[in-house]
Amino acid sequence: MNFISVAILAPLSAAVLILLLRRLPAALTLLGALIGLLASIGLLASAFNGINSELILPGLPELPLHLLATPLTALLSTLVAVISSLVLIYAVGYMKQDKEKIRFFATMLLFISAMQTLVLAGDWILLLAAWELIGVSSYLLIGFWYPRPGVSSAATRAFLVTRSADLGLYIAVFILIANTGSSDIATTLNMGGHAAVAAGLLLLVAAMGKSAQTPLHDWLQRAMAGPTPVSALLHSATLVAAGAILLIRTAPMLPTDVLLVIGIAGGITTVVTGLIALGERDLKRLLAASTSSQYGLMLVAVGAGVPLAALLHLIAHAAIKSSLFLGAGVFQHSRESTTLADLEGVGRDRPRIFFGFVLAALALAGIPPLSGFFSKDAIIAASLASPNAPLLATLALAGTLLTGAYMARALHILWYGNKRKHPIAGLRWMGAGLAGLVTLAVILGAGFPSIETLLHRSMPDNTLAQILGLSAALGGLMLGWFIPMPRLLGPLLPWAQRGFVIAGGFDTWMVRPAFAIAHSCDRLERRLYVAVLALGQFGLNIGQVVRRSDDQGIDGLIFSLVHGTLELGSRARTLQSGLIHREMAIAVVGAALIFAIPLLALLIH
Amino acid sequence: MSIDLLLALITGAALFGVGIYGALSQTNLVMIMMGVELMLAGAMVNLVAFWRYLHPDTPAGQMFVLIVMTVMAIEMAVGFGVAIARFRAKGSVEMEEAVELKG
Repeated sequence: MNFISVAILAPLSAAVLILLLRRLPAALTLLGALIGLLASIGLLASAFNGINSELILPGLPELPLHLLATPLTALLSTLVAVISSLVLIYAVGYMKQDKEKIRFFATMLLFISAMQTLVLAGDWILLLAAWELIGVSSYLLIGFWYPRPGVSSAATRAFLVTRSADLGLYIAVFILIANTGSSDIATTLNMGGHAAVAAGLLLLVAAMGKSAQTPLHDWLQRAMAGPTPVSALLHSATLVAAGAILLIRTAPMLPTDVLLVIGIAGGITTVVTGLIALGERDLKRLLAASTSSQYGLMLVAVGAGVPLAALLHLIAHAAIKSSLFLGAGVFQHSRESTTLADLEGVGRDRPRIFFGFVLAALALAGIPPLSGFFSKDAIIAASLASPNAPLLATLALAGTLLTGAYMARALHILWYGNKRKHPIAGLRWMGAGLAGLVTLAVILGAGFPSIETLLHRSMPDNTLAQILGLSAALGGLMLGWFIPMPRLLGPLLPWAQRGFVIAGGFDTWMVRPAFAIAHSCDRLERRLYVAVLALGQFGLNIGQVVRRSDDQGIDGLIFSLVHGTLELGSRARTLQSGLIHREMAIAVVGAALIFAIPLLALLIH
Repeated sequence: MSIDLLLALITGAALFGVGIYGALSQTNLVMIMMGVELMLAGAMVNLVAFWRYLHPDTPAGQMFVLIVMTVMAIEMAVGFGVAIARFRAKGSVEMEEAVELKG
């Protein structure tokens, strides 16, 4: 039995078991996640020993399904397994009061299994399938509390936005397979030329949709309508990560022009969503905007040509952001709300949870020796080393500054306020999951050198980058802590709070054109309907004319013939008397006449 | 034209005239038929006379007479058949009474 199949099938079979047995959902979930985690760690261990596991399944003819554990994919698989296990431990506590545990845990496990497939996929077809699976299971999870107002529309919006962007992935995969004749990811990465540019841009569109990059960032904030473990899992470490993972894996193929576009898209996102986070009034929406911003930084790293920096930040961010979400979930249970106004002073209610939250926040801001410092440092160094350093480095530093500012603001609000403590069920489980993730967020930085040796790449060591990054982070924290937010944002405040919608945003640019198209289709449809009706009426009229001519013309002719014949016959009848002698006398006279005429003629002659 | 032929033709014409008179004057079906027979007999006399005195060496005249005799026989059979049926049905063969043939 291969570790790959265990890593994918363990969560999946746990989900099936939960749905079949309909009892002990929490225990089965933890068991499935644990087995999957062990298998992933096994994959990572063999990757460290230089062994690449792979699994080839029969798929389409000449395009077999291919699962592959290279050092990169094994690392990502382990990341997914670790984060999801810790989040699931937390979820056991978080969902203690919920009545639909079976549905929740089964969907979570389905999602984890799909994510493992996505990470380990070695060919595009399997990757597409897994991509769709995480899309649909994220839809189910975001819409988990569907009876609540706004939840189902948030889920639908998330699904539709990511689905529309997925079109880019589909076309890109078609281009790749058509140009190389193979669905194997490693083979297709050797492609170059114009096709690579087109495919790269389309992949960027798909990644922007999944990773919630500007202008497609709106769905992620709305997706916070789901339960907090869902936010922690989907929107920090896995679902959103899919876009960045896609770009990191295809980075060797991408031409420099595409890399520049990726870097600029990421840079714009990190600034725009950073400003949105700074102006946000809801803790979970703030964290969601921050997620977009951090993925923007990863795209900057990819655009700078150093996907390793993006990978490191992905790993660090996964641990950090899920800890932040888990902390936010505890605060949410404390005050039954997620708006920052309601959460004022909640840090004093739960000092230990708040301590973990602070550690994660500082790690996100990039304070040494926490993990975020190393990954941010790597990104800034990468952007400084790239040929487009002035642009990319400026954007990356601005993103770092904003990160510090909005995290400091959140911490300030959470700490200063009144104490209103009341007990929460399942706090122990939540605390355990949170503790595990915060520990990871703190110590992961120490593991980065071994990741670099595992992938046989090294990061440029740049003192300037460290100084710049640290000063940006500290400056951001200072700004956020000491200066009230409205003054900090100034004239940008209303823009940030409305999510930087330009001229009505999606409503103007997408929804209204879509409605206009729908209206014109409707009008066309109505006209077609009228035209078809008129055609039918025309046919009916012709039919009536034909019937009238048939009734009055042809039938009339034939019947008048018939009547004439009958009348002639009845007149001819009257000639018959029935008296034989009379008939005979007529016959004799007739015969005499017949004879008389030639006789007369003869005589005259 | 020989005198014999003329005599024969006169005989035939006389027979035909007697036949017509009989057929028109009688009311009994049987008598009418006898008149018809006489008319046919007059015609046959003519035929035979023409053959005998004008073309004695061609057999067509004789054959014609034989065919007419056959037709006479058939006509007689049908006519008497009708007369018998009429007599059985109505008890008389008076033609003045038989006006059902009226159209």
